[in-house]
Amino acid sequence: MSDPKIEGYQFKPGFSGMAHDTASDQTMFKGVHWGKAMMWIFLLSDTFIFSCFLISYMKGRGSTPVEWPNPSEVFGLHVFGVDVPLLLIAIMTFVLITSSGTMALAVKYGYEKNKKMCGWLILATAIGGLTFVGMQAFEWSKLIHEGVRPWENPFGAPQFGSFFFMITGFHGTHVSIGVIFLFIYAYKTFAGHYDEKKRGWFTSMKGDYVEIEILGLYWHFVDLVWVFIFAFFYLW
Amino acid sequence: MNETNKKEETTTHKIGIYLWIWGLLFVLSFFSYMVDWYQFQGLLRWSLILIFMFLKAGLIMAFFMHLFWERYALVNVLLWPMTAIACFIFLMVAEFKYTLFTRLLYFFVGG
Amino acid sequence: MSEDFNNNKIIHAQSSETIGGASGSPDMDYVRPAETGDQDLYHGHSFITKWIFCQDAKVIGVQYFLLATFTGIIGLILSWLMRLQLGFPGLAGFMTAEHYYQFVTMHGMIMVVYFLTALFLGGFGNYLIPLMCGARDMVFPYLNMISFWMFFIAVGVLLASFFVPGGPTGSGWTLYPPQSILEGTPGSGWGILLMCLSLILFVAGFTMGGLNYLITVLQARTRGMTLMRMPLTVWGIFTATVLAMLAFPALLVGSLMMSLDKVLGTSFFMPTILKAGEVLEYGGGSPILFQHLFWFFGHPEVYIVALPAFGIISDLISVHARKNIFGYRMMVWAIVGIGALSFFVWAHHMYVSGMNPWFGFFFATTTLIIAVPTAMKVYNWILTLWRGNIRLNTVMLWCLGFIVTFVNGGITGIFLGNVTVDVPLSDTYFVIAHFHMVMGIAPLMVIMGAVYHWFPLVAGKFLDEKLGKWHFWLTFLGAYSIYFPMHYLGFIGVPRRYFEMYDSPYVTSAVGMNEFISIAAFIVGAAQFILIFNIIKTLKTGKPAGHNPWKACSLEWLTPSVPPEHGNWGDRLPVVHRWAYDYSVPGAKEDFITQTTPPSEVANTEVEKT
Repeated sequence: MSDPKIEGYQFKPGFSGMAHDTASDQTMFKGVHWGKAMMWIFLLSDTFIFSCFLISYMKGRGSTPVEWPNPSEVFGLHVFGVDVPLLLIAIMTFVLITSSGTMALAVKYGYEKNKKMCGWLILATAIGGLTFVGMQAFEWSKLIHEGVRPWENPFGAPQFGSFFFMITGFHGTHVSIGVIFLFIYAYKTFAGHYDEKKRGWFTSMKGDYVEIEILGLYWHFVDLVWVFIFAFFYLW
Repeated sequence: MNETNKKEETTTHKIGIYLWIWGLLFVLSFFSYMVDWYQFQGLLRWSLILIFMFLKAGLIMAFFMHLFWERYALVNVLLWPMTAIACFIFLMVAEFKYTLFTRLLYFFVGG
Repeated sequence: MSEDFNNNKIIHAQSSETIGGASGSPDMDYVRPAETGDQDLYHGHSFITKWIFCQDAKVIGVQYFLLATFTGIIGLILSWLMRLQLGFPGLAGFMTAEHYYQFVTMHGMIMVVYFLTALFLGGFGNYLIPLMCGARDMVFPYLNMISFWMFFIAVGVLLASFFVPGGPTGSGWTLYPPQSILEGTPGSGWGILLMCLSLILFVAGFTMGGLNYLITVLQARTRGMTLMRMPLTVWGIFTATVLAMLAFPALLVGSLMMSLDKVLGTSFFMPTILKAGEVLEYGGGSPILFQHLFWFFGHPEVYIVALPAFGIISDLISVHARKNIFGYRMMVWAIVGIGALSFFVWAHHMYVSGMNPWFGFFFATTTLIIAVPTAMKVYNWILTLWRGNIRLNTVMLWCLGFIVTFVNGGITGIFLGNVTVDVPLSDTYFVIAHFHMVMGIAPLMVIMGAVYHWFPLVAGKFLDEKLGKWHFWLTFLGAYSIYFPMHYLGFIGVPRRYFEMYDSPYVTSAVGMNEFISIAAFIVGAAQFILIFNIIKTLKTGKPAGHNPWKACSLEWLTPSVPPEHGNWGDRLPVVHRWAYDYSVPGAKEDFITQTTPPSEVANTEVEKT
């Protein structure tokens, strides 16, 4: 995105531009929509939530004298007579990254005011998210079937179950909320609310395609968190 | 939401850049899966996991979340608070080692 | 702005340089045009949308203020009950040890989170940020409204815990597991659950409000309002909100994990526990993890309360001493520096917890470093007063009271920041005295000063000065009578959180002192009702204040109508030409130059270039 044009304001590049923007009046993030700035700050706060979860997990796993279960085996699947490690997780990662890509494209087409492409891509993202949540439900039920509970597990340290259900549950909640909003925004896009600047249901504020980008930020963040969970919980 | 930007932002990026990043993310995810597949262990495993993780996170943030194109004022506001998290992680690593040490000492050696 | 503006040098305002970088323009009053269109506001029509589910930040601010004050009064009554027990054991027949612990817990949690945090950020933040930045309202008024009602529900859940079986939690405001959720601690069932739920709701609601405050300050200032021209009040509240957005997540995570420990029987924080010879189901968890999470939130929380107080006091002192704040930029950087450092000091609350012993070195060092910017602020307040044209009214009295109590509490903080001094003093009354001085009485003084200062803006009438002075002297002398002896109690080793001393060796020297403290506490508590009486009386018969009664420079006093209406500024947003501290400028007609006065009107004065 090239710098927006602002009357009477000269953009400077790099760090001197940062100082210049910060020292200027009215706005610090030049040309950034209020809602987008808000979503960024919210995501920063949310990053701290997930960081606290993962740090707690690190502290819990690191200090337990009981053996930690091998995630590669616990999350493996037995397909066509072969044991494939982490197969389900790999597919889930694949699905989430796919949906992240469609979302990025939806944002692009949103800015081009291409209503149709934008709407279909959001819908595809929502379906990807829904698939992810479904697979997570399958994974949970499989583990519960094998006897893993939040308070115990047959493979070793009981904290394994606790942290697994809590962290993936919190992430899954984020995905589910995202999916709900994706469906709503897909409807709003197809119905043309952003073209005619229709007022929102609750906030009574005018609609704009920038909302797609804001939702996109949230969705990419969910994907981002999964990258960390995948690395620390499933691979480590 | 409630603000009317005077200037409509119409500049978007070529679709190619998104497809490239998308592809790279798949490749990197495949690589990190391979870390488990080939059962690398020890320092090699951990460093590979971290490298692929940070590459993926960086690509998502930089291109999908448009941080690469944002002005430094926003980028710096978002990244500097992570030093607090880094400090927290660093100290908690020391803390879990100490907890484990005391547990092994009292449970098994018998302080 | 060009680079040479960075020096805060004095220049003559006749220079042809202009604000906003449009060099070559002959108009010295030029300010860059607005970047965005005017804000689109929802105006309430019915009683409900105007006063209850209202989207106007000023009404929301008053709502926050009233609800926080209400919970604060509950906290005050609880402290009376505690002092009654400590000063005169057995006098209140209903008081059991369980009750005492529940009152301690609820008093602490209410005062820190639901009173001070909500009042400073929710109350003053909502009311003052849009006005002082020259915005029409908060940027997301609907979200702002939801924020207040989430806070309302959080308070409701918290107070509901008084009426559930087992009563509220009695584990101390720090809620340390494992004892907080084990049988034997009062309120270990419903009480602790409702506490965790209430905190989670509070954090969720606060996040919505906090996003509003941050984005309003960052993205919705009026023309000419740079960050370095904002009043320090806004800087304080802004930085405190940043801390809250980054620190509350740790509290949220801690509360959530503890609820899971309680409800599902997970063992995040629960080690293997022997109870009456039997091993409980828990095992393998780490209680110290909760302490780390709690204090990763808890220490920034101290500054969430303190930074708005620092900011507000700077403005009050400057206005009522008719002098610009000494070292404005130093003050701003001190606020930002304290805010940043506050994330690296948390474990100085945990010196005796059994954490990694090497941490003591790290955290003592960072704690002592944080004293540097704090001391800078104190010097600057005093230097602002130095040779100022001090008006010794009620507001100024509260300011002076704040400086004294804050210095006092800060110095004991330096004692406690050192591991070797802290170890014998921790969990004694010395600690109680320290934190009540520094984050109880001191911020309370600021709140009172701010109420006397801004009441003419909110209600259009002056509060009664005579009652105000009674209120101040009773509070100030009374608070010292309460907390000064407590330092001594701490030195002789009286432990905190003890229901009764019984026949311990402390009895002889501590009994009389405890009685004295309790009586002082009753008087100070009662003195606070003078303010409520004063407000009611003023609303009925107070004399009208009119526009800008204190002759202040900052924007909130410059609205077309007093009290300001929804939308704040009438038809046109103000345009800012200078900082908020042009008091007693040599050569000026009056002793203040408002922020909206253009340079051409004060061409012959020596104004500071900001």
